[in-house]
Amino acid sequence: MTCPYLEYRDDDGELEFDHERPFCRAQESFVSPMRADICNDRYDFDHRDHCEVFRNAEDGEAATPLAEGQD
Amino acid sequence: MTYEEYLDGRKVVLTVAPTGGVHGKDANPNVPEQPEEIAAEVRTCEERGAAIAHLHGRDEHGENSARRLQAVNDAVRDRCEDIVVQNTTGGQATYEERVQGIRTDPYPEMASLDMGPFNREQHIITEHNRHNIESLAEEMREKGIKPELECFNNGHLNEVHRLIETGLLEEPYYVNIIFGHGTFTMPSPENVLNMIRNLPEGAEFNLLAVGRHQLPLTTLSAIMGGHVRVGMEDNLYLERGVPVESNAQLVDRTANVLEGLGCELATPAEAREMLGIGGTKRAISG
Ligand code: SF4
Repeated sequence: MTCPYLEYRDDDGELEFDHERPFCRAQESFVSPMRADICNDRYDFDHRDHCEVFRNAEDGEAATPLAEGQD
Repeated sequence: MTYEEYLDGRKVVLTVAPTGGVHGKDANPNVPEQPEEIAAEVRTCEERGAAIAHLHGRDEHGENSARRLQAVNDAVRDRCEDIVVQNTTGGQATYEERVQGIRTDPYPEMASLDMGPFNREQHIITEHNRHNIESLAEEMREKGIKPELECFNNGHLNEVHRLIETGLLEEPYYVNIIFGHGTFTMPSPENVLNMIRNLPEGAEFNLLAVGRHQLPLTTLSAIMGGHVRVGMEDNLYLERGVPVESNAQLVDRTANVLEGLGCELATPAEAREMLGIGGTKRAISG
């Protein structure tokens, strides 16, 4: 399952991008292509097992995950 | 691949690695991600002296996707004169995904072949076991694709010797020695010399080093008779705190240093000759 903190944005508030980029709501920043493979659970990576940002966010409730279907 | 060959004026093959799969525009907005962006960068680098382009594919969001290599290859061939296309078969993807790098149409003239796994961040380990490595080597041999043997650390050189013994490689063996953090070989001139000392007979070598090690260690490579790889896959900064503006900026800087050392850059045709690259662009049949 794609990480509930992941969303795609086509601007950073100032600059517009040609295409949408992966943005992590838990850390309030865009993430690298390598990291986004984990956000998307591709290649057997899993955000719950493999992402320390996800775990910290869940423990500390730093950010609210998107509800199912909201993305 | 010797200091004497440097003194004798042997040409240096410059490879540009414009994008990779690790960094994105979040790290440096100048990293090219989409096929046309990558191809435009590669074309400028070819004009400045790059003979080989080491290519990765990204999906529409900039994420790793070997399936986009076909589109990247097409765009590069459309724009460039003669640069050698070298596709990745590396990275963190599964074997089924990575093998797409040698299944484009036409086949690439070269492809990278990682000699073993390496770690990244807290949990990423690339999936390069011997079975996968040999399968890729075999398919490359069948298709006339020249492998670039990626040695992320000196243990990987053992695997180059082993692959030679299995008869899967042809001379000259083109070995890429890699220096950086994590499980890469620690970046120092002494380690560069040590890696070169342990190369097999009949090898040509290329050097890549990450970040601030890129310029000094590639320069050392050229002096030791080797070849060089530069580009934003390996280095996002021109100097501390100054982001790279384009791949051409890195190519220019290295080309200027090499010129000062009396080295001429090889053209793509000369690179094919020196490295034993088939040069035939075969179509996929069946
Ligand atoms: S970085 Fe971690 S928390 Fe953020 S979107 Fe990706 S998997 Fe989720």
